[in-house]
Amino acid sequence: MTQVPKVIGFICDWSVDLKPLSDGGRLRELPNVRVVQVPCSGFVRPDWLEEALNRGADGVFVTGCPYGDCLNREGNFLMRDRIDQLQRRLQRRKVDTARIGMLAFGLHDGAAFLAEVKAFVDRIAVLPPAQPARTAGRPAVAQPAGTPEGERT
Amino acid sequence: MSTVVERQTPGRYARLMTTLLRETLRLDVWVNRLYPTDFNPLYYTGGLSNLFLFTLVLSGIFLFFYYDASLGEAFASVQYITDRVPYGGIVRGVHRYAADGFIVAILLHLLRNWFTDRHLFARDNPWISGMFLLLFGGFIGFTGYQLVWDERALTRLFIGGLGISDGTLVRILFLHIGPATALYAFLWWHYVRLRHPKIWPPGVWVLFCVGLVFLLAGVVPMTRETIPAAAPAAHPTSFPMDVFFLIPFWLLNFLPAGVVVLLLVALFVGGLAIPYASRRETPVEMGVRHSGVAQVIDGNCTGCELCYYDCPYNAIVMVPSPGHRSLLAVVIESRCVECGICIGACPFEALELPKFLERDVLRQVAEALRPGSGQAVRA
Amino acid sequence: MRTVYTMGVALLSGLSLLFAVGIIYGEATDQWFLGGGSVGALLIAYSFIVLLLRKMGMTGPRKTER
Repeated sequence: MTQVPKVIGFICDWSVDLKPLSDGGRLRELPNVRVVQVPCSGFVRPDWLEEALNRGADGVFVTGCPYGDCLNREGNFLMRDRIDQLQRRLQRRKVDTARIGMLAFGLHDGAAFLAEVKAFVDRIAVLPPAQPARTAGRPAVAQPAGTPEGERT
Repeated sequence: MSTVVERQTPGRYARLMTTLLRETLRLDVWVNRLYPTDFNPLYYTGGLSNLFLFTLVLSGIFLFFYYDASLGEAFASVQYITDRVPYGGIVRGVHRYAADGFIVAILLHLLRNWFTDRHLFARDNPWISGMFLLLFGGFIGFTGYQLVWDERALTRLFIGGLGISDGTLVRILFLHIGPATALYAFLWWHYVRLRHPKIWPPGVWVLFCVGLVFLLAGVVPMTRETIPAAAPAAHPTSFPMDVFFLIPFWLLNFLPAGVVVLLLVALFVGGLAIPYASRRETPVEMGVRHSGVAQVIDGNCTGCELCYYDCPYNAIVMVPSPGHRSLLAVVIESRCVECGICIGACPFEALELPKFLERDVLRQVAEALRPGSGQAVRA
Repeated sequence: MRTVYTMGVALLSGLSLLFAVGIIYGEATDQWFLGGGSVGALLIAYSFIVLLLRKMGMTGPRKTER
């Protein structure tokens, strides 16, 4: 893969301190990584990760607090299990499991977090171009914003 | 978190608590270098307290077999346990040092949950019940020191009747064991709104804490403190002090008794008021962490119970759905901490946080993936 | 690093053997405080063995942190 992979990270508001790391919703050192702040890592619905991959993201990851220290007691454990399930589910559709990641970092672990994200991006960069995860029934290319995607609820 | 750091409140309490939060989490970083996160003792302070309580109950049952609650025999029976009963001195030491460990673990638990905001909003139930657990724990420790009936016990409380009699010791024995039993009722209250309470520490800490208690009981035996038996006429002037249970009596050296009692009452009432009196951050500063109580979209709910199983605070109950044969999830608003874990649990898009909807998330995702999107908008 | 951990486990195992002898000796000579204290020291040594095994990845939860 020649170009820089597009990565979306769902990051728990309570975990790693993004103030020194991010700028306008993107990591300063890795501008190809877009961060979405969520109230807890358990808030992330695995469908959204799949959706992001469908729309053309090369990788998605979720960051929670260190295991055992979730502010909401077990959000990161639940998310870890959900990510495992999602990886197994998407593996059957020939999506590489390296494209989905679960990280756990505390408030002061900014440097370790960046290193881990870099490793994650590097793992993705050497993969062959992504096949759409869901081949039938839905266009796999990125859709313009404002399509009925969000209006379903 | 980052929203917290961005918009700092000028309040002194808020700044202090933010500093304490940051330092608590910095301590975690250091402990995590030594221990893997699933062995980090600071993540299991409540379980450690429970472990010590369990140790206390077991050793207490042992001591109860030999203790004689009468004026003439109380001190002698304690001496008999210590010197004659095989390993009786060890068990007595275990009972004493585990009590100290109990208080230390409770205080660690209290401070950690206070500093990391785990006492706020819908999480106040464990805090309030925990204050009662602390009160009862301290009281049980105090009556425990009276039971030994050495000079330390002559604090002239709970005498009852006209003077010290056999009834006094029976009363104190009840006031030691009765509240200890009540601790388990309070523990039920403590756990009642938690889905999977962590009630036991990891094995490595079970071994370490039980081992430490036994080691202390062997190396610093209870016989080292030779305190004479209590006599009704004695007026002890000094005795070895226990740091964790007898601090109020140490304060009596400097303050009149009424002031000490008032101080204790003020500490307790102030502790009860902590979750309501002041907060580290205003709701606006909480950012995405304050996105409103989760809402069920009735038409989408299939009654699959996934959110019910995942909610860490038991805030979701399943009720029979009117007109259908299935169930319907209902969020109890007073228990919801707005974490959104149920949103992640629901595969049917039947739950939403009102201020952070699914379409907000998907809009951010779409913006991130739009070709040539440079400046992304934050939610 | 693994060799350091292995050596630590071996060392702690030797210590535990010593404490076990202490338990038996204390029991045989009716020195109950020695026996009880050795129980404690043995348990503490065990806890550090478990920690080292966990750090080596030989024990602990099935899904370790990733």
